[in-house]
Amino acid sequence: MEQWLTQVAPFLSDNLIFTPNTLAQYWDGLVNTVQLVFISLVVGLFLAVPLAVGRASRRVWLNVPIWLFNYVFRGTPLLIQLYIAYYGFAFIDGVQDSAFAFFINDPVYPALLAFTLNTAAYTTEIFVGAIRATPQGELEAARAYGMSAATAYRRVVLPSAFRRALPAYGNEVIFMLHASAIASAVTITDLTGAAYYVYARFYSPFPAFIFVALVYMLLSFVLQGGFKVLETRMLRHLKPA
Amino acid sequence: MFDFQGYGPRLLEGAWLTAELAVLSLIAALVIGLMVASAKSSRSMTLKSVATVYTTLIRGVPDLVMMMLLFYGGQIGMNMATDGLNAWLGTDMFINVNAFAAGVVTLGVIYGAYMSETFRGAFLAVDAGQMEAARAYGMSPWLAFRRVRFPLMMRHALPGINNNWLVLLKSTALVSIIGLSDMVYVADQATKATHQPFLFMLPVGLGYLAITAVSELVVTGLKRRFDVGFSQAT
Amino acid sequence: MADSEIPLVVRDLHKSFKDVSVLNGLSLEAHEGDVITLIGASGSGKSTFLRCMNLLEVPDAGDIIVHGEPVAFKQHNKTREPASWKQVERIRSRLAMVFQGFNLWAHMSLIGNVIEAPIHVLGVPRRQARERGMALLERVGLADRADYFPAQLSGGQQQRGAIARALAVDPEVLLFDEPTSALDPELVGDVLAVMRELADEGRTMVVVTHEMDFARDVSSQVIYLHEGRIEEAGAPADVLKKPNSPRLQQFLAPRF
Ligand SMILES: Nc1ncnc2c1ncn2[C@@H]1O[C@H](COP(=O)(O)OP(=O)(O)OP(=O)(O)O)[C@@H](O)[C@H]1O
Ligand SMILES: [Mg+2]
Repeated sequence: MEQWLTQVAPFLSDNLIFTPNTLAQYWDGLVNTVQLVFISLVVGLFLAVPLAVGRASRRVWLNVPIWLFNYVFRGTPLLIQLYIAYYGFAFIDGVQDSAFAFFINDPVYPALLAFTLNTAAYTTEIFVGAIRATPQGELEAARAYGMSAATAYRRVVLPSAFRRALPAYGNEVIFMLHASAIASAVTITDLTGAAYYVYARFYSPFPAFIFVALVYMLLSFVLQGGFKVLETRMLRHLKPA
Repeated sequence: MFDFQGYGPRLLEGAWLTAELAVLSLIAALVIGLMVASAKSSRSMTLKSVATVYTTLIRGVPDLVMMMLLFYGGQIGMNMATDGLNAWLGTDMFINVNAFAAGVVTLGVIYGAYMSETFRGAFLAVDAGQMEAARAYGMSPWLAFRRVRFPLMMRHALPGINNNWLVLLKSTALVSIIGLSDMVYVADQATKATHQPFLFMLPVGLGYLAITAVSELVVTGLKRRFDVGFSQAT
Repeated sequence: MADSEIPLVVRDLHKSFKDVSVLNGLSLEAHEGDVITLIGASGSGKSTFLRCMNLLEVPDAGDIIVHGEPVAFKQHNKTREPASWKQVERIRSRLAMVFQGFNLWAHMSLIGNVIEAPIHVLGVPRRQARERGMALLERVGLADRADYFPAQLSGGQQQRGAIARALAVDPEVLLFDEPTSALDPELVGDVLAVMRELADEGRTMVVVTHEMDFARDVSSQVIYLHEGRIEEAGAPADVLKKPNSPRLQQFLAPRF
């Protein structure tokens, strides 16, 4: 025990690192991460619903472009998408003086753009899968009682698809939280950015990254728990009594 | 027009590095995944809990953070280890952590965790009777694994492996952040120098799509192979 | 009698899937209070016939007339289509179907299932729909299960719930496609009892069934289908007791 303590002591007494100053840094990082992820997820979700409906439709002019959008955004690294959003506008002549300047002066905006489109693509595919898994009989019953295609979609197909999509969407939310770590690559001080800052300043990777890893893990578990609760509520109709 | 302002050769090298990194990490992940899956289905409580803790940890932490921890921490950890050895043996060695190797190890460790889940599900999906039959004909455990369980399991595992592989492939882009010159890194450097993001980022994006397309062909071939005897009209 | 007084008239229906001709000129008249049972071997076209009546399948030729209103068709790329889906929707809500597999909406409670079409198709106020829905659940013996989800009910309860759902749109004709075939034997009785009650109170019904007792006791007319044609039709006392066609004789012969 004694010996163990002396070995661990340097890490614990390294309170040079976890000062109010660096903790504040981590806190700001947390706020930035949560904001980025939350806004992208909410906007992405709203985009995904009409996209999924279009993608599930039989109209080729509607369904093929959405398929392509999803294919590209799901087939390439988010980092590339982030770089394109970040650099893509910055070097356009005259953008600095346009009403668009805010977009390139704060890397948060390009990051939001890239994250939102990315999660919209993944979420769309999740929803499409759930829509296609609609029990055929339930749809038929809806039509047999005189529901129009639109009403059947609104009342039967979508509500049951959203419920089915919940577990996969929960994974997507956690995936987005983890993926957001790359925001630090475009100078945003998110959680990972804060950890990198602390690492670089003290040249001590273990406390800096292990601490931030624990924070991410905690966030992940909270999200996972939240989705578990939501699932038991929303999917209770599928459980036999 | 395809000289990419002189960056063409470096981009190609970057693409090659991406491919190498991805394939080697995949192999590492498969090996780790198989071992961890075996640990999880073993009877030893210790093995089981170690494996569970490992997968839980990995799945709770972003790839990039894990990568930074292992990469930046790796060198310092290595230095500590060699310092200790040097003090003990009176030697004077220094081992430089190779960035590429660190990348392979990191990605292998991360995706090994995901692969282990895939393999575990596939183990469970194989009918116990099939293994019993193999043993009943006098196959050794290893032979039974190689000839019966593995091919049967692969049929169930293939979709999951394919999924993990596609995620892994895209994750290789993260190594550009810690300074390995994969194709994203080259594109980033070139963009900063020439101010032409689309000239570099779009082809690199296409590069990923191309690798994905090739791997889809491979997977279709493998699928056909493992589906022998199971193929249905559907 | 004028067509306009007859709830459902079907004339000379034809239907094929790809090149296989499944219905070859089927006709039927369901008068007020009629209970018509369709019997026949598997694959004889009973379900297809029934599904054509409310346009879940579009017949290639023939007329469907609901209280004097013929369904309008148009020709589109060589296939026949209803001219107006609005009309089809209106007609469907007057011919309620009960399915072999129940097809209750899994994400809605039982009462939710029952009030869904009245509210969202017919525009009945929620309160009123609910009151009536509860009364219907009472009728089929499920008032205490109103807030259960379909997965929490037995097959027989689900099917009785599905009948309540069908009654909720106040249909002029009820269409049943083998409503008891998916049920365990001990659950069949409850569902048949509900159907008998409906027949007794003068509901117009078209029923595909393998329950010969039901066909004999309840129906006003029995139609025996063979390969998409009406092989024999008439009062149950004639068709089931004294079948003319050798095929029907064989169909009805006790199986060992
Ligand atoms: N959607 C479809 N596509 C192709 N063929 C079909 C389709 N629906 C029905 N058929 C064919 O039409 C024929 C009649 O089918 P139908 O379901 O009407 O028979 P049924 O009398 O209801 O039989 P069962 O007693 O088994 O329910 C069958 O040969 C069937 O294979
Ligand atoms: Mg049938």
